[in-house]
Amino acid sequence: MDEFWERSKTPRFTPVPRARPEDSPGTPLEKAPDPDLGHGIIDQRRYFSREFMALEWQRMWTKVWLLGGREVDIPEAGDYIVTEIGPESILIVRQRDGSVRAFYNVCQHRGNRIRGCGIGSTGSSLSFKCPYHHWEYELDGSYRRIPDIDTFPQGKPPHALTEIPCGTWGGFVWYTLNESPPPLLEYLDPLPRHLEPYNLHKMVQTRDITVEWDCNWKTSVDAFNETYHVQGIHPQLLWYLHDLDVQIDCYGRHNRYLIPFGTLSPRVRKPNAIPEPIKTIMKAAGMDPADYDRPIAEIRRDVQQHKRAHGARHGKDYSRLNDDQLTDDYHYLIFPNLSLNVHADDFWIFRQRPHPHDPDRMFYDIMTFELVPDGQEWPARAEHKRWKHGDKSIGLVLDQDAENLPGVQAGMHSRGFKGLWIGAQELRIRHFHKVLDDYVYGPQGKPAGAL
Amino acid sequence: MDLGLRGKKAIVTGATKGIGRAIVELFSTEGVDIALCSRTAEEVESTVRALEQRGVNVIGEAVNVREGDAYKAWLERSAQALGGCDIFIPNVSAGGGFDSEKNWTRNFEVDVMHTVRGCETLMPHLEKSGSGSIVILSSTNALETFGVPQAFNAMKAALITYSKQLAQHVGRKGVRVNSVSPGPVYFEGGAWELIKGTMPKLFDYALKQIPCGRMGTPEEVARIVAFVASPAGSLITGSNIVADNGFTKRVQF
Repeated sequence: MDEFWERSKTPRFTPVPRARPEDSPGTPLEKAPDPDLGHGIIDQRRYFSREFMALEWQRMWTKVWLLGGREVDIPEAGDYIVTEIGPESILIVRQRDGSVRAFYNVCQHRGNRIRGCGIGSTGSSLSFKCPYHHWEYELDGSYRRIPDIDTFPQGKPPHALTEIPCGTWGGFVWYTLNESPPPLLEYLDPLPRHLEPYNLHKMVQTRDITVEWDCNWKTSVDAFNETYHVQGIHPQLLWYLHDLDVQIDCYGRHNRYLIPFGTLSPRVRKPNAIPEPIKTIMKAAGMDPADYDRPIAEIRRDVQQHKRAHGARHGKDYSRLNDDQLTDDYHYLIFPNLSLNVHADDFWIFRQRPHPHDPDRMFYDIMTFELVPDGQEWPARAEHKRWKHGDKSIGLVLDQDAENLPGVQAGMHSRGFKGLWIGAQELRIRHFHKVLDDYVYGPQGKPAGAL
Repeated sequence: MDLGLRGKKAIVTGATKGIGRAIVELFSTEGVDIALCSRTAEEVESTVRALEQRGVNVIGEAVNVREGDAYKAWLERSAQALGGCDIFIPNVSAGGGFDSEKNWTRNFEVDVMHTVRGCETLMPHLEKSGSGSIVILSSTNALETFGVPQAFNAMKAALITYSKQLAQHVGRKGVRVNSVSPGPVYFEGGAWELIKGTMPKLFDYALKQIPCGRMGTPEEVARIVAFVASPAGSLITGSNIVADNGFTKRVQF
């Protein structure tokens, strides 16, 4: 072994105790076989090429199912969500019969956006009036009123608002620009089975933030798809989670990893006190760190058992979760653009959306949710906020990611960069790019020399 | 300068890591026989083995100092085994924490009561020594506002007062009592390494308060403790020696 190897090799560690697959009542725990995706370089031009961006739009973004919003935000007929994807704006509308339908948010008269981005209600009118010339549409997209219709010798357009496929799962509304999409549940498979035990419908939204980031949307997806960067840009998390004992599972389009929380990384020395980040986990579970005398290595298991014993008393139903789910981070990527950190008491969605025309920019949506204990009043959801890269703190960990990303994006353009050199801890990145290639290049595979 | 430590017998609590470890390391090179304890048997064993290499008599046990009777029994056992006790260094601390009322119980039982029980239990041996000396570990957190109003700070303050009064009380029996108040001390596995990792802003703030921009090392604290504890420090009793590299800003008259 040479000196470079000695300096560089992964620290040795004892694996943390894990729940066994047969002890998991809901979420499957079996390790999925790792796909053989080779060891090749990932071409950095994928992150800034306008041609590749156009291919992504034509062959991927307009084919996949996308997260539109939350059903609970549009409870009444006429309530709506306007969400954007790339150059398109989508109007999602609760119908009179309780169903949900989605349309391109564009008036058929002169092309104006009918509503701005966000959540709203038509109120008692139960109609959408375009603000430009007051063309008015029913909730189902048909025409209610066109002012001065008699001045249009050709009459009203034969087509109404352009409807797109829309579905619901997990309390979320999903839509697709694909005119003949696979069924939503088939697209999401196998994740519904993984996520349903989590009581997602009992969680209230606590953050709703959109930040415009100076990087490609995939630069951001990659940033959340591996734990290797924890030792690099999140050193404080080494006293909070095990960044090496991570189970990676790649499924058809989607993937996940399972990270033990409430334990030390083997990269740091055992401290003489319980680290503050681990204390927050204990306190959230109702344990008092000042009254804890056991070794730090026992905390994760003890928190699991404490929550198991006391959850029901606090109105929290953990019966469908395995023990590890009471502490650990189950992190999913729903292809193409949803990074999910799922926990027993909360979950976070990071949604990465491409910029309409600039591959070096994107929109990063932070949506966090917290379990509302049974018997407690449902609090008001957080209001949506929007700002630009670096304007405001989004919390220490995400600030560390955010500060880093423009440098990564800038480096992608460098003549001195030969492409992404991906290791085994980053298998999910490779898998994500493989799935993207499947969309972009189709079943015949990537042609030689393609990005 | 000869500290006059050769052949002395010292009992040090919490001596497998950090400041306590540095103290027993230094004592062992100065020819002091040592009894030490910590919570973890393996760490006690490896420390004892390491110190024995220096040719002094070293014994140690795993002791939880919160358990008063077991702790006092260990002290008595150790003094007997060493053939007396000239120096006592109560060093164990429950550390900082601002979590609940339980922090107060912990710091009271560990920082204060283990010191008090130790001094009382060992006093007959220290009186017999002729050069008996106690050095209590306090902290600059007792002297100036730092961080949060946590039990650690107030209990370390209690130790300074106790140290002063005990010095007056036992002085005529030839036993000296002093406290040493280190400022931030950085070592592997120590509180400041953890703070640097998990609360980097607090770490940077503390570092900025130190004129020369460097935290102390356990070895530096150990040298001061060893001097105060040794016959060479014979004129010092009832003092609180601040060893903080200029971290605190008050004027000490």
